[in-house]
Amino acid sequence: MTAKLSRSMATPNDIAFEKLVRPHFDRLYRLAWRLCGQRAEAEDLFQELLIKAYGKLDDLVRIDEPGSWLCRVMYNLFIDERRRFARCRVHTVEEGELAGDGLAGLPGTQNPVQDHERREKLLKLDAALGQLSDEHRTVVLLHDTEGYKLSEIQELTGTPVGTIKSRLHRARARLREILINDGTFS
Amino acid sequence: MHSKETDVDKQDQEILALLKDYPMPQVAAGYFDQALVRATHEGSRQQRNRWLMTGFGSAVAAGLALWMIGGFFLTTPELPEANPSIPGITMTLEEPRTINLVFASAVPLNAATLTVQLPPGIEMSGFPGQHEVTWETSLTAGKNLLPLKLIATSPQGGEVFATLKHDGRERTFRLRVDIS
Repeated sequence: MTAKLSRSMATPNDIAFEKLVRPHFDRLYRLAWRLCGQRAEAEDLFQELLIKAYGKLDDLVRIDEPGSWLCRVMYNLFIDERRRFARCRVHTVEEGELAGDGLAGLPGTQNPVQDHERREKLLKLDAALGQLSDEHRTVVLLHDTEGYKLSEIQELTGTPVGTIKSRLHRARARLREILINDGTFS
Repeated sequence: MHSKETDVDKQDQEILALLKDYPMPQVAAGYFDQALVRATHEGSRQQRNRWLMTGFGSAVAAGLALWMIGGFFLTTPELPEANPSIPGITMTLEEPRTINLVFASAVPLNAATLTVQLPPGIEMSGFPGQHEVTWETSLTAGKNLLPLKLIATSPQGGEVFATLKHDGRERTFRLRVDIS
């Protein structure tokens, strides 16, 4: 058989895979977004995770909590990618990605002045988060925004709880410092 | 009195409130479905490549090649009789084997139904304990590869049936499985 095979059929593995991973899509997408902060990068990470997980289907079917496992794999992929990225030292910045994307659908309070102030503060917060290190930004977003418990962050990142607490404290302090310096807080 | 600590506490509370409100965009419509399709296609391709580079190479070297191809020409008006000699493979207990079926079709077929029936003691990877698995699929014009990963969980062996149905027509492929 030398003819090139086309392939469009959903296989039993495809069906089993979808059944296992689809219930966790929202959680995984949120995590990808919180880790990356940009749509393109988050979607690349999400895609890379699914491809890797498909190759581990035999393991995945035996795991009691596939959602937690998938989150850990995603985090490790993110860290690996960041290390590769750091070695490149050439960064591209999608300016205003979150501001134009994440804040656009923000529900309002029907008070234009308050909505405007809130939006402005969130934009400042967005900029401040961008100045944090990956470790600090990740821990503050997972804990304070997504509501992960310290033990869940420990399980996800493999970082001791003491270190997570310390990073959280420093991250909040750094955010406050940045927001005072840019005039958000007087 | 207005202490510095009070200011800091107030600012921390406000930062926490902002962080709780920190939004994320809605996922684009259809993105999850597209990502899933890309993952299964790319994942299968990588698995096939790995299999070709390692499993198939070593199997050929050992004289144990198990590549099996069956064809269904669904657009042929008079369908050929099933081959009286049923193809067969020999599997090792608890050792997964990937069997590749090829379905050939002259035209694209949407919403075809594929049913795989397994004898007791043979399971499909991802479907433990199930003896019949049915799913809907689509075929492109040309040859469509269906890799089935089988695992023998008991030594009796038997026959695997793969039945493709479309628009009131059906073809069944039989595969004899012996366990060594």
